[in-house]
Amino acid sequence: MFDKEYSFRGSHAAKVIKMTASFDQKNNKIFARNFDVYLFAPIVGFMYGRDAPLDRENNEKTDIFPDILIREKNDLMFNYRLIMLLDKEYEPDFDERINKAFRYYGSPKAQPDEERYDSYVRGGVDVLYEKIMEGAKNSDDYLKNLFDFMEEFDERYNSNVSTDSILNLCNLARS
Amino acid sequence: MLLRNLRLTNFRQFKGDQPISFSTNPDRNVTIIMGENGSGKTTLAQAFTWCLYGDTDFEDKSMLSKAVAQNMLPNEEANVRVDLDLVHNGMEYTIIREQRYSKDSSGSLRRPSQTIFKITYKGSDGQREFVPDLETDLRMKEILPRELSKYFFFNGERIEKMSKEIRRGKSKEFAEAVKSLLGLSAFTAALDHLKSRSSSSVIRSYDNSYNAGSDARIAQYTKEIDDFDDEIEAITRRLAEIENEEAIAQDKCDELEEKISKFKDSEVLTKERERLRNKLNGLISSKASSTTALLRSFNKNAQQYFAKKMMKDALQRLSEADKLDKGIPDIHERTIKFLIDRGFCICGNKIVFNNEAYKELMKVLDYIPPQSLGSLIGQFVRDCELKSKGGSSLFEEVSEQYRVIRDFETDYAEVEKNIKLVEQRLVNMENVGELQKDLINYESRLKGLKTERDNLNKEHGSYENKKKYKVADRKELTLKDETNRKIEVYKAYAQYMYDVLFDDYTQKEAETRNQLQETVNGIFKHIYNGGLSLSLDENYNVNIIVNDFEGYNSDVETSTAQRISVIFAFIAGVIKMARDSQNDENEMLVSEPYPLVMDAPLSAFDKTRIQTVCDTLPKVAEQVIIFIKDTDGELAETYMGQQVGARYLFEKKNEFETYLVTR
Repeated sequence: MFDKEYSFRGSHAAKVIKMTASFDQKNNKIFARNFDVYLFAPIVGFMYGRDAPLDRENNEKTDIFPDILIREKNDLMFNYRLIMLLDKEYEPDFDERINKAFRYYGSPKAQPDEERYDSYVRGGVDVLYEKIMEGAKNSDDYLKNLFDFMEEFDERYNSNVSTDSILNLCNLARS
Repeated sequence: MLLRNLRLTNFRQFKGDQPISFSTNPDRNVTIIMGENGSGKTTLAQAFTWCLYGDTDFEDKSMLSKAVAQNMLPNEEANVRVDLDLVHNGMEYTIIREQRYSKDSSGSLRRPSQTIFKITYKGSDGQREFVPDLETDLRMKEILPRELSKYFFFNGERIEKMSKEIRRGKSKEFAEAVKSLLGLSAFTAALDHLKSRSSSSVIRSYDNSYNAGSDARIAQYTKEIDDFDDEIEAITRRLAEIENEEAIAQDKCDELEEKISKFKDSEVLTKERERLRNKLNGLISSKASSTTALLRSFNKNAQQYFAKKMMKDALQRLSEADKLDKGIPDIHERTIKFLIDRGFCICGNKIVFNNEAYKELMKVLDYIPPQSLGSLIGQFVRDCELKSKGGSSLFEEVSEQYRVIRDFETDYAEVEKNIKLVEQRLVNMENVGELQKDLINYESRLKGLKTERDNLNKEHGSYENKKKYKVADRKELTLKDETNRKIEVYKAYAQYMYDVLFDDYTQKEAETRNQLQETVNGIFKHIYNGGLSLSLDENYNVNIIVNDFEGYNSDVETSTAQRISVIFAFIAGVIKMARDSQNDENEMLVSEPYPLVMDAPLSAFDKTRIQTVCDTLPKVAEQVIIFIKDTDGELAETYMGQQVGARYLFEKKNEFETYLVTR
């Protein structure tokens, strides 16, 4: 994982293509590249509890080349570990979740974990599309939707998570 | 000149043949033709101009009745024609202008032919005869010169322009035309006969009959004198032109200065509009840059920002579980195995099975992956530290940029509204900068003309002097020869006669002008009872003088009423004089009565003034023909009732057809 070409497929490919298309004459896009969707979507999928199976209904697909995946592997690994550590539904035992996050990656044992991760990527694409793209008719609508989405997320989760509290926890974890 | 009948054939909205007879009865000399707006009053007035001079003020230069044109078949022809019967100098004339229109095979109207212009008159034997084609224009000029026609065929709507012309900058022809109307043309003809530039004038023909045999220099001097005369004449002509050009430029300057002072606000407003437009552009570009910045921040930090809650939860779990121990960062079991297989360490020490280095490395295996996760988790914690810092301010940044984008709508509308307000005020205002530029141009033109005139005047004087010397030189020579001496004597007689006649003429002309001034003033005071009077200069320009002592302020009345009154007074005055001079016993003064044809003349006046105008005009003019709209017409008829000899009505059938009916 994260070292060979990745492809969005079917409806998810269509959604990603739309989210990375220019929506105004200034060539502005919600997401600059497919990779930016790929990096962001699993977080959103997990936070909104949304996963989605691979859609093979049509042949549509859009790719991310391996060079960028390899270059940005640390960021992608970070996502993977976060999700593995926190997905209680998938694996109730914390020690086993730690193994999934840190030990099994890259081994045949990790196959179902990687599947799980990809389903969050697709679920995240669905959420992003619903939140930002649906009902938007012009550039103002896209920006409004994006802002509303961020505002909603901020109120729901981040207003209680200060950066300081994370830094404190980091110190605590090291002690 | 008195107008008898007018016949219109397919002329504009007058379809078919439509005759109209004007009253020539001296006691009932008024003809009133009434009609609503758009029924054809102006067209009828223009029919005179078209008939006499072949031109109209219409923008659509096609004279053919639209109703007729519509019904014409392909290749069919139709004529437009206007016949005007009039009496001039005891002679009965019919002036005819005709134009042929035709359609091509596809049924569209071709360009019309040139107009055909004919004048016929009733000869002494009662036979109708044609004025030869080549002489028609000349004859027309005798009957009524075009420069004067506009004063007799008078359009109420063009009054502003006419009053300016009457008050200033009249050409020499105008003065000549007025003089001829006032009966002074016999004088001027006699004076011209005696001494003019024409080689057939008496004095010139003497100049040319000197016997050059006595002295070759006589011919040479005569030639030089001729040349000087040519120069002098050219200069005089140019000086007259300069005067006209100056008047025009001065008018323009006045007009521009007035506009500039009226529109001086426009400069400030234009700058304000410029500022607002810049602001608008600024808003557009700041929206664009905010959009770009917002998306850039979002793309860069979204993952870190949205993962904050997850980081917190994960770290909490990890710190509770005490899963962190003292590993070596980024070192894996594979690394150690590689070093052992290689046989020497990173530091260079040899690694042999069971030596010190080997034992140390085997110990490390307990603290590094895969046996120990400590260093991997430590790495993960460091990542959390970095990422939580990176995404910390994303929402604030995005909020700030989105505020700009959201406010754009209202800010833009506000600025746009202000621009509209400024533009509304700017409507009808002209660009002062442009006006200033024009003003500077005209002012420098004026300056140039003044310099040119000064130089020409100097040249003029010098040529006059040279000529004088040459004339004296020639005289000295001619007196030496018997024949030439005789010619010199005849010439002296002719010059004497000229001088006497000229004195007489000057006196008469001054008298006539004074009389005209009095007449005009009398009429003006009658029409316009304010503290103003008029004076005429030698070019028959009318000046308005404010009689302060009467305590009136000239601004009390609208200026339009003043101006119209001036025109009325002037025209009525000229006509009255022309008519009166007919009865003068002095045979040197001969003149013609003239009609006054007026299109919508009363619209600018109030009721009282309409009454005075109606009262004055039929008394001063031999014949009055008025085209007038219903409301004014009723008033006019009330006031002129006794004088009205003929009444017509425009009956408008539709936009393209009007019929003249007797009332």
